[in-house]
This record gives sequence, structure tokens and C-alpha cells, in this order.
Amino acid sequence: MAQTEKKTGLLRRTSSSKKPLKEKVVLMYEEIFAKEDPTKNNPRFWDELFLMKVNLEYLEGKLESLDGDEVMKVKDNINSLFHHCVQALSEEHQIKVVNALQTLCALFRGVHQKNKSATGFDIINMLMGFDKAELRMKELMESLDSLLCGDGSESLKSLCLKLLLCLVTVTDNISQNTILEYVMINSIFEAILQILSDVSSRSQHGYDAVVLLALLVNYRKYESVNPYIVKLSIVDDEPTLDGMGMVIHHALTDYNRQYKDKEEENQGGFFSTLTSMVGSMFIADADEKLSVQTNEAILLALYEAVHLNRNFITVLAQSHPDIDMSATPAAPVPASPTTPLGTTPPSLDMMNNPELPLDPNLQTSNLLITFLKYSSIIMQDTKDEHRLNSARLCLIILTCIAEDQYADAFLHDDNMNFRVNLHRMPMRHRKKAADKNVPSRPLVCAVLDLMVEFIVTHMMKEFPMDLYVRCIQIIHKLICYQKKCRVRLHYTWRDFWSALINLLKFLLSNETILLAKHNIFQLALQVVNLFNMFITYGDTFLPTPSSYDELYYEIIRMHQVFDNLYCMVLRVSTNAGQWKEPASKVTHALVNVRAIINHFNPKIESYAAVNHISQLSEDQVLEVVRSNYDTLTLKLQDGLDQFERYSEQPKEAGFFKELVRSISLNVRKNVSLSTMSQDLLLKEFSSIS
Amino acid sequence: MGDTELELSPARLEELQKSPSTSSTSSTSSLSLPSSPSSGPRALTSSSPSTSEGLPTSSPTLDVISEGVGELSLVIDTEMAKKACQEVLQKVKFLKPDGEVSSATSEPVLVNGTAHPESTDGGKPPKITAEEAEPVKSVRRRQKNNSSKQSWLLRLFESKLFDISMAISYLYNSKEPGVQAYIGNRLFSFRNEEVDFYLPQLLNMYIHMDEDVGDAIKPYVVHRCRQSINFSLQCAWLLGAYSSDMHISTQRYSRGTKLRKLILSDELKPSSQRIRREVPQPPPSCPPPLHHGQGMSEHSLSPSKRTHQRSKSDATVSISLSSNLKRTASNPKVETSQDEPVRLTPQREFIKSLMGIGKRLATLPTKEQKTQRLISELSLLNHKLPARVWLPTAAFDHHVVRVPHTQAVVLNSKDKAPYLIYVEVLECENFETSSVPVRIPETRIRSTRSVENLPDCGITPDQRASSFSTVPNYDNDDEAWSVDDIGELQVELPEIHTNSCDNISQFSVDSITSQESKEPIFIAAGDIRRRLSEQLAHTPTTFRKDPEDPSAVALKEPWEEKVRRIREGSPYGHLPNWRLLSVIVKCGDDLRQELLAYQVLKQLQIIWEQERVPLWIKPYKILVISSDSGMIEPVVNAVSIHQVKKQSQLLLLDYFRQEHGNYTTEEFLTAQRNFVQSCAGYCLICYLLQVKDRHNGNILLDSEGHIIHIDFGFILSSSPRNLGFETSAFKLTSEFVDVMGGLDGDMFNYYKMLMLQGLIAARKHMEKVIQIVEIMQQGSQLPCFHGSSTIRNLKERFHMNLTEEQLQVLVEQMVDASMRSITTKLYDGFQYLTNGIM
Repeated sequence: MAQTEKKTGLLRRTSSSKKPLKEKVVLMYEEIFAKEDPTKNNPRFWDELFLMKVNLEYLEGKLESLDGDEVMKVKDNINSLFHHCVQALSEEHQIKVVNALQTLCALFRGVHQKNKSATGFDIINMLMGFDKAELRMKELMESLDSLLCGDGSESLKSLCLKLLLCLVTVTDNISQNTILEYVMINSIFEAILQILSDVSSRSQHGYDAVVLLALLVNYRKYESVNPYIVKLSIVDDEPTLDGMGMVIHHALTDYNRQYKDKEEENQGGFFSTLTSMVGSMFIADADEKLSVQTNEAILLALYEAVHLNRNFITVLAQSHPDIDMSATPAAPVPASPTTPLGTTPPSLDMMNNPELPLDPNLQTSNLLITFLKYSSIIMQDTKDEHRLNSARLCLIILTCIAEDQYADAFLHDDNMNFRVNLHRMPMRHRKKAADKNVPSRPLVCAVLDLMVEFIVTHMMKEFPMDLYVRCIQIIHKLICYQKKCRVRLHYTWRDFWSALINLLKFLLSNETILLAKHNIFQLALQVVNLFNMFITYGDTFLPTPSSYDELYYEIIRMHQVFDNLYCMVLRVSTNAGQWKEPASKVTHALVNVRAIINHFNPKIESYAAVNHISQLSEDQVLEVVRSNYDTLTLKLQDGLDQFERYSEQPKEAGFFKELVRSISLNVRKNVSLSTMSQDLLLKEFSSIS
Repeated sequence: MGDTELELSPARLEELQKSPSTSSTSSTSSLSLPSSPSSGPRALTSSSPSTSEGLPTSSPTLDVISEGVGELSLVIDTEMAKKACQEVLQKVKFLKPDGEVSSATSEPVLVNGTAHPESTDGGKPPKITAEEAEPVKSVRRRQKNNSSKQSWLLRLFESKLFDISMAISYLYNSKEPGVQAYIGNRLFSFRNEEVDFYLPQLLNMYIHMDEDVGDAIKPYVVHRCRQSINFSLQCAWLLGAYSSDMHISTQRYSRGTKLRKLILSDELKPSSQRIRREVPQPPPSCPPPLHHGQGMSEHSLSPSKRTHQRSKSDATVSISLSSNLKRTASNPKVETSQDEPVRLTPQREFIKSLMGIGKRLATLPTKEQKTQRLISELSLLNHKLPARVWLPTAAFDHHVVRVPHTQAVVLNSKDKAPYLIYVEVLECENFETSSVPVRIPETRIRSTRSVENLPDCGITPDQRASSFSTVPNYDNDDEAWSVDDIGELQVELPEIHTNSCDNISQFSVDSITSQESKEPIFIAAGDIRRRLSEQLAHTPTTFRKDPEDPSAVALKEPWEEKVRRIREGSPYGHLPNWRLLSVIVKCGDDLRQELLAYQVLKQLQIIWEQERVPLWIKPYKILVISSDSGMIEPVVNAVSIHQVKKQSQLLLLDYFRQEHGNYTTEEFLTAQRNFVQSCAGYCLICYLLQVKDRHNGNILLDSEGHIIHIDFGFILSSSPRNLGFETSAFKLTSEFVDVMGGLDGDMFNYYKMLMLQGLIAARKHMEKVIQIVEIMQQGSQLPCFHGSSTIRNLKERFHMNLTEEQLQVLVEQMVDASMRSITTKLYDGFQYLTNGIM
């Protein structure tokens, strides 16, 4: 006890230098920790306590410092404190509600910090007492629910969400947070939805609400029936889903804009030439300040929505014309102080600009476009673990999107054309494409662009094999759709093919290094099978007959890559070893490509010989190709247009567990900061009362 | 025998009967008008068979007259006839107040104009109709002796041939309050659709003519407003639009504005009490529908009609009440007051939001931005659908359930932003009473998914929640996502392939079977390549996407295909009563002239059909919402000739061959005939209405080869910028002539012959056309009525005084002049320079 007092004394001296006197509230806390019933001396003790400004530091510190035995001694008082906190939530006096919410926050945190090793049941016992726990938590959740859904102060609602976020993130592993079992039973899902469906509350609390939802959905996801998963999967109320999409949209837009500002800052002016030389360095530098981590939670929410709720797919394509933004009345301004969850709170000032609706230069956007742009930024650099995780999550989300037929329908909708300015990594060997010249095309072109961009920019020693596999899968799924629905996309397939061939080339030249870590044959097989799709089913989805000729031209032109690949896989498959099987699959898959090469190369050579030309022009080669189709026989391969559907479990479970852990840590860190600065709030209420 | 007379005569006689109007009534009217009084007294007592016997001369004479000669002779002595007619009319008018006691029918009408001659004599109607067929000669003979005795005017009004067109004409021309009041009542006995055609005329008279006309019209309008929301809104919109030319100070207190306010305040809702108190007046006051009458049946017909009307409005009331009960529980009294605004509001809001979109689009600079904005705005609109809203341009009752927003296109216009939307609707019995369809989420497109989609079994979230919670693990993706989206790709492939071989490459089938047989399957690369080029060749020619002309592609797509495609993509597509409509929303444009042109075109179309002249025109419906906004029913399967030429880079004839095949094919010949028939029709229209601004962007070509003129912004007395361009009677370029097979071809002669026949038919019924225009001139500031001679010039263009031979010469001259006209070419060049229209 004495020690702790000293400690608080020290703390106080540093924080508010000249006041050695203890606050009244600290004295009262001490009474709570003094084993005796505090109401013995003062029957109005609890009433008074919640009128005092909470000293979170002290309370948390105190709880933290108690060891097991001491805790058991003051358990009754802590239970009592908890009980009265919950009771105070239904008080009319808002100061009391605020203080009670903050005290609860401190209780949850304090108890958990001390007892990291303790089982969830011990913690519950310590806070509420076993016998009362169910009742208390029910009361708590009901109070929170009514506060969130009521017409009360927005600051109060914000605090409620903070408390919930605090509760959800007290453990590193969310699934070990046993208290959440009560949050499962007493669902606040409806309250979250209500916040999201209402325009003004969404703009103020949407971010917290979405993060909270994303976390709750991940509670014991794989072990039990999580009611939040169930409920989220069946929401079909469009305003609500739209609201959710809007929150995600704003958060991602915000990041995109900040990134762009930074980029322009770096590239403009004095250093411009220098910067372009070492551009990537600078940009990586700028990224440090733009924490990707912040958006992990938002991305997770997007993933859960896309993955669980099939109605959400429509929200992706839901355009957000500017009027809709102006319809959110002045909301973001009060929002910024109350949503400092992340280091970069979504500042929506720009969105709030009333003059925007008439700005003709502002392109209509939708969540999918924003997401694609965000992904293009994230995927530029995957060295850092968080960025790698974000990039992976982006690709997983795209996988889910590519699998959904409705999403495919609007991705390929010829009438829904957009200019999507993807961010491209500055590289020495290519110029930065002029942003303005991106043509307006169906959205699937942007997805394909993004994939191609990823393919050509990540051929590095630290080869992100996992991401490449996902990338090729996404392309495959899209092409399967095009084949099935006979969508003839006018896309620059040639660039696409050459990107794939270059990938094969890279795999070949780095065979030894890569084989040490990865199964490169799986990736090679996928790539070769994409070519097989084009070769055997090209008639169903290629835009013009000449594009089929060009496919052959490209294969013939790059025949060496395929030749080498064949040699390599043949070599590996003839040796016994772990790669024998996968390598032999690639040999089989190459049969048509090799047939093409072996068929046309002699024809081209003889054409050159007959016409005495050393180097054939492209047109001449195409001419040879066109006139020699009929003598070429191809073999039809099985199952080219079939794919494995995405499934989170078991493959991705580990990834998501880690991701949720990382998000929990991040959220906890940021919530704690914000909770400390709730003085503003108190002032607001004290001036009212 | 009597039958044949009737068959032959109505068309002509109708015209004869029609107008006692001021200027150029055809001679026949003067002849026929007396016809009814002549036989009046006898008719009252005699039975119908006896009538024809009593007039033995009738049929043979008529046969003679009804041929072309007779028509011409009638035409010639117009002036004389007119005079005669007017004399008689005057006489009768003087006589009327004095007595005419003889007939009980006439009395109530003439005295107060509101009570009505209920069922005086059941025997009348058949006789009158028979009498209409009387030969002109006999009529003339009898004219003298009976004019003093009978109100032949009344006989006319009660005759079967007295149609809405005549009613409007009398309402407009008669200065007699009694007559006006009578006709006001008589309106009730016409079918709603018939009157609806003349609604602009009625309302314009209401707004701009004197008190008596207004008083005569109002009860009918009010009555119809009570019956129908659609009618209420149409009235309100038209009243607003046609009041807009008044000076602002008078406008505010004008009758039209007051009525408009009354309608929009929704005072005129059908409340059961009100109906019982007020409505009984109008329906009984409507004259017994004698024209329907077959003897005694007439009597029973009238009440039955009335009860039908009332029961309908009662139904509306009960529905609105029941919907209240649904909304909130107990007290119906409170709710009725709540319900009032709800009656008209949804539709008004719907229209308002469509107009709002148009206004906002106009602020954006490029087509591309407009298109994107349009799509996103419409997607938001979708959230509020389905609702009790409808497209007023449609021909059937329906509820709008969805706007397939991605299909919408911005149309070509320099500074305004008209746009075309497609609208999915569900047909229903009655949009006011049928229940609004249940919303189906977008993602539920796979219509085969059975029960879930049936509107009746709307599963509440709770129910579904419970059913869901029984599923143990939600990460089992097959459960959380319904299997059908991609599952189809994998599992159901064979089925799909076998079902629609047309849809999927043959190889897919092979790919499946090969899995089973495990025998390698070989295919020729040449086949793949060939199939690719064949399939691309077989798809109907589409237009390239052009961001500057987004509508071209959308309009080129065949309507059936578009319907099929949208239906497939729609969550409502599986419903049997699903329909697709389209509409052009115009914001910032005055469509009143368009409406006038529509009415004239429609009238001429009816006339030509009646006279069996195979001219083809396509009047498209116009909805005037205010003096600067409205909607247009798009012509489907048609693109502008400008777009055709720009996209195909072909001469029109070559385009025809590309689309329809070579000269000798049946397809080409049909298309060519269609082209000629439509060309002749529109040349006449252009001449009669003086349609200007005829560049290729304003002429559409449909998939069957018809041309369709659109944009009647410059008609009658107005022309663009008054540059004096386009002096030729109509636009006939050499390209057009080439499609017709050249100047010496049979088709070109056919074209000229059609024009002649069309002109002859049109002038025979000139009054019906003139009347439409003339009434709308009242109080109008529209540019097409600029100057004082609009109507006179219009009449002159019908050339009543020319013989058929002379007309033929005239047509030849006009065709020649148009052919040689450099101004047409000049004008096209001018358009190309200024608007980029080829």
C-alpha cells in the first residue's frame, strides 16, 4: 500500500508538479482498496464517487499493482464498484454516466494488465463475482445498448464504443477474452447497425463501430457459433450496409489522399529529378508516417463484410456521388475529436466541403475503386510485415470479389466505365504513366491492371510466393467468368501475356534460390494453365480474331522461355524428389504451348527462307500464323475452367488469428490514449449540468 | 343494306357532322347537320328497320357519293356550305330558348345545363344512327321544312357519330353557355382514353378561355381527378405548363393555377362521403350514352356504368384505409388525414428526383462525367424502389420496381442533359390499389432460386436468423454463401452447356465428357480461330463505344435483346409480370410543342389508318411536366441517321444492305418499303407542320428500315434562328432517294403516290387536325404560334381548293423542289459545322 501511494505520489508530482495533495477521488479509490465496505462510513459513497472526475492512471495502476491475495481481499469491493458502475450507467446525471463508463474501462484494463496469465474465469470472478457475472454483464450490455441507440449525447455514445473497444481488446488474443462470451449472449449487434445506418451517427462513430464489429466477428470464429457472424451474414438492409461501406470508403479514401499528398510533396520542386532517381526510397520514407496498421482493422471489416454478407457486394459498386457526402451534415467536424482511434483519424474535411457537389473534376467513385487504389498503394511495397499482411488481405478480398457472380457482373458491365488511377511503383526502366490518360473502362480492367502491376513489380529475392499465387488465382477466376458468360473484354491482353511470360522467366532464372523456400511448380502450373485457357477457350472470350493470332505470336516470340521451362520441369520430374509430382504436372500442361511452338517455328523459318528474309516483321509472322492454323492439333486439357473456391478455414485461419492480434494491440494502444484525453468530454457535461 | 351504308359512311360523315366552326367547314357539314332534325319527329316514333325503308334513296346515292368524286365535289363548294351551315346554326340557336318543347330530351340541357335528359326515349338512338347514313341529297331536301321544328344540334350531340373530337370542337367554337354546359356534361359519357387525348386542349381552354367554358369543363376534370392519381397529376402538370405563358401577376390568381393548387393539395381524393355527395351529380348529369344505345339497353347501361365508377372509387378508399391500418394501428380518423399527402406524393417525388438528376447533370462538363454521375444517382434512386410510382408514358398499369442504373445513358445535347433510363416495372391491375411489390435485394439475381423470391413469402430477418443459427459453423463457406454463384461454374457446367449450346463453346462440353472418358481429346486450332471469327461476325452489328456519344451503343442494341439481358440481371426478372420500359427525361426543355406535334401526328396516323393509306409514322408519347421539363417515350430499336453514318462510315443505302442484305433479298425489300412508307409519312408531316431543324441527328432509323423524325422544337411558325434555311417543303436527300431505288424506280413513284394519297386523306379530315392546333394557340406564347397567320397558313397547306390532279402536281413540285434544294444540303453542312452532326 505504502509503495503504491509513493508511486502515485511520484506520478502526481511529475504530472502536476506542485500539488502534493491527493485528489478526493484518489482518497475514495483508496477506500475501495481498503478491504472494508466503503459505505460503512459514508452511505452515499457510490453516489459521490461517480460525481468525481475519474483518475484512470491511479485506478489502473492500483489494480495492476495488486497481487493475487490482495485482490481476493478487496474482491467484494471491486465487485461492488463494478456493480455500481453498471448501475450508474442508467443514471440521468450524465456526469455519472461518463465517470462510470471510464471507471469500467479502467477496471477492465487494470485487471487484465495485472493478470495476463490468469484464466478468464478468474478475471470475471474478480470483477463481478461468479454468481453475479451473468446478471451484471447483461445489465451492462443492456445499458450500453440503450445508450448507443438512444437520443443521448454523441460524446456518450462515443465513450460507450470506446469502452466496448477497450473490453474487446484487453487480451492480445481476442478468443481468450472470456468476458466476451457475455457480449456474445447479450448482442449489441443491432446497436452497431443502427449507428451505421444513421447518417449523422455514422459519420461520428462509424469508424469505431466498424472496427468493433470486425473484432467481435473474430471472437472464437473457428471454435464456436459466433452470433455476430451469423447476424452479419444475413443483414440485408441497404442503408446499413451502405453506411458500413461508406465508413470503409472514407477511411481508405483518406489514406489514399494522404499518400498522394505525400507523394506530390516528395516529387515536386527542388528535388524532383533526384527523387525520381531514388523515388522508391523517398516513398518508403513517406510511408512510415502513413501507418498501414491503422487500416488493418478497416480492411478486416471490409473482408468480413464481403466474405460473410453477400448483399454487401452491391455496396462495393454503390457509387458515391458527391451529393451524398454533402448530405452528411457537418458531421465530420465534431467527429474528428471523438474518433481519434487511429493515429490518422479519418478526417473528412474534404468530403464535407459543401462546394464539392459542383466540382466537375471530382470523379464519381465507389468503394471498389477506392479499394483498388488503396491496394495499389499497399502492394507497392511488401517488405514490412504489416504491409505484407495488408497486401495479402487485399488479395484475399479480391479473391472473394472475383468469386462472386454479382460482383463479376458489375466488374464486367460495359456500361459502368470508370477511370481508375492506380498507383504504380516508380521504376527506373519505365516512365510513370500520365494519370490523366487512363481510359474509362469496365472495372475489371482495373483489377487486371492491378494484378499485372503486381506481377511485374515483385520479382525479387524475397519472393512473395503466397501473394503471387493469389494474384494468379484472381485472374483465373475472372477469366473463368468471362469464358462462362462470354464477356469479350477489350483489354490489352498482350501486355498481360508478356507479364506472365516474364514471370515464368523469373522463376526459371531463380530456380535454385526460390526452390529452397517455395513450390515454384504450383505457380508455374497456374500460369501455364492461364495460357491454356486462352489457347483452347479463346473463342469464347477474346475480343477479336486477331487477338487470338497475337496470342500465338506472343508465345512464338517468347518460345525460349517455354522451351527452358519445359527442360527444367522435365529434368525435375525425371529425378525422384519432392518436386517430381508437381513438376510433371507442368510438363503435361505445357503440351499445347509446345505444340504451337513446334508447329509454327519451322513454318516461320521456311517462310523466311523462301522469301529470303532474315528477320520477319510482326505482320509477316502473324500472316504465317493465320495461314497455318488448320494443320495444328491441340489437346484439350481437363478442368482448366474450374477452380477451388476460397475458404477461410483451415488455410487462412492462422493468418487471420495473427492479423486480429495485431489489430487488437493497435486498437488498444490508441484507445487508451484517447481515453486519457476525455477531459474535453467532462467539460462538456459539467458545463451543461 | 343499311349495314353497308353504315360501313361506308362513318368516316366521311363523322367529318361532315363535325364542326360548325368558323372558317372552313367543309360543305358536308352543312349538308349533314340538318339531316338529324329532318328525320327527328318521325324517328321518335318509328322503329329502326322502318327508317331505312322510309328513306329509299339513301343507299344507292351514298354509294356513288362515297367514292372519290363525291369527296371532291364536297370539297369544292366549301364556302357556300359554310355559310349555309352557319345560317342554320344561328337559326337553331335562336329557336332553342323559345321552346322546342316537343322533345323532352332537349329541355333540361338547354335550361340549366346540369340536369340531363335521362332516358326520355329508348327508341331514338338506333334511328339516329341510321339517319346519319342518309344521302346528302335527301338531307338537303328536307333541310328546309324541319329546321324550325327540331333542335338538330341536339340530335347531333346525341348521335352515335358525335365523338370527342366534335365535342371539343363545339366546346371551343360555341359561344352558347348552354351548349358548352351540355358538352361539359357530355364529356362524362366518353371513354376516358378518348377524352385523355384531348386533355391538353381541354385544360388549355379551361385556363385561357372564358368562364363558361371553364365551368363546363371543371366538373369533369374534378370528377376524373377524384378517380385517378395519374389523371390528377397529368392535369396538375399540364395546368402548370399551360399557365406559364400568362403574366406572372394574372397567373397567380388564374383559374388554372387555382385548380392546380386544388389538385396538388389533394383535396380531390376519393373520400367515400364526398363521392356520395358530389359525384352523383356529374354521372347522372351526363347524358345517357345514347350512342351506345341499342333500344332499351341504353337505360340500363347508364346506371351500370355509374355504379362501376363508384365502386372503383370506393375500392380506392378502402385500400387507402387499409394501408393506413397497416401503417399504424387503431384510429382511422387520424390516419386519413395522414394519408392525404401520401396519395400523390410518391409519384411527385419520383418525378422530382428524376428532374433533379437532370439539373445536376447539366452542371457537369463532359459526357463521361455526366454518364457516371447519372449511373450513381440512379443507383441511389433504386434504394427507394419499389414504390407506388409509375411511368406516365406507359400504356398499362404498373409499379416501378427498379431502375437498372448501369443501362442509363446521357443523350446528345449541347448544353442540356437529357437522359434515357430504362425502368423495370411489374404490371398490375391498378397501380393505385394493387399492393406495391416487395423489395428484392440486388444480389438475388439468380431467379431460379425458387421460393425465396416469391413476393408473398417475405422472410423476415428474424425468421431467417433462426434458420441460420441452426447451421453449426459459419466458416463453412458453402453455407454462408449460397452455393449458386460460382458453384455454377464448377458443378453445373454440363447442364448449362447441353441446354444452351449456343451460349457456351462446344469445348466446354468436351471438357466435361473428357473427364469421364479419360481419353485425350484433340481439337484443331483452326476450329477455335474460326469459331471466334464466326461468332463475332454473327453478333448483330454493334456500335463502337464512344465516350462522346454514349447513347449510340445503347440505342443500337436491339430492344428484345436488351430486355432479355436486363431481365437476366434483375432480381425481379423471374416475375411473370415483369416488363421493361424506357423513358427520356428532359430537363430544361419545353415539351409543349412536342406534345402538340404528338397529337397532330397521332391524329394523322388515325386518319391514314382509317382511310387505309399505308403511310407509316411513329408518334411517340410526350409527358409535359412543366413548361421546362418533361418526359418522352423513346422510340425503340432506332438510332439517328447521324449515328448510323458516323459509326458505319457508309452511305445510307450501303448501310441498308449491310443491315438487311442485298437488293433482292426479301429483308431488304421489306426494309425498303418501310423506308418509303415512313419517308412519305414524315415528308407530309414535315410539310404540313413545317417541321424545321431537319438534320440527321433528328431523324432516326429503326431496325426495320423506318425513319422516324424526332424533335419538333421548330414547327409551324418557328424555325431555328430564323436564318431562312430549309426553305424546301421537307427533307429529301439524294441518299434517301438512293435507298428508295433512285428517281426512276417504282418505289420512288410509290413514294410520291403515297404522299398524294396521304394528303388527300389528311385534307378530308383537316378539321380534326386544325382543331388540335387551334385550341392550343389560345393564350400561348410558344414560338410555333408566332405571328397571326399560323392557323391560316396551316389550313392553306391542306389545299382544300385544289383538285386531285392539281394536288398531284403539287406533290411532284414539292418533291422536285426538295430534291433540288441546296438549302437542305447547306443546312446539313451548317449543322456539321456548328454541332458536329453529319
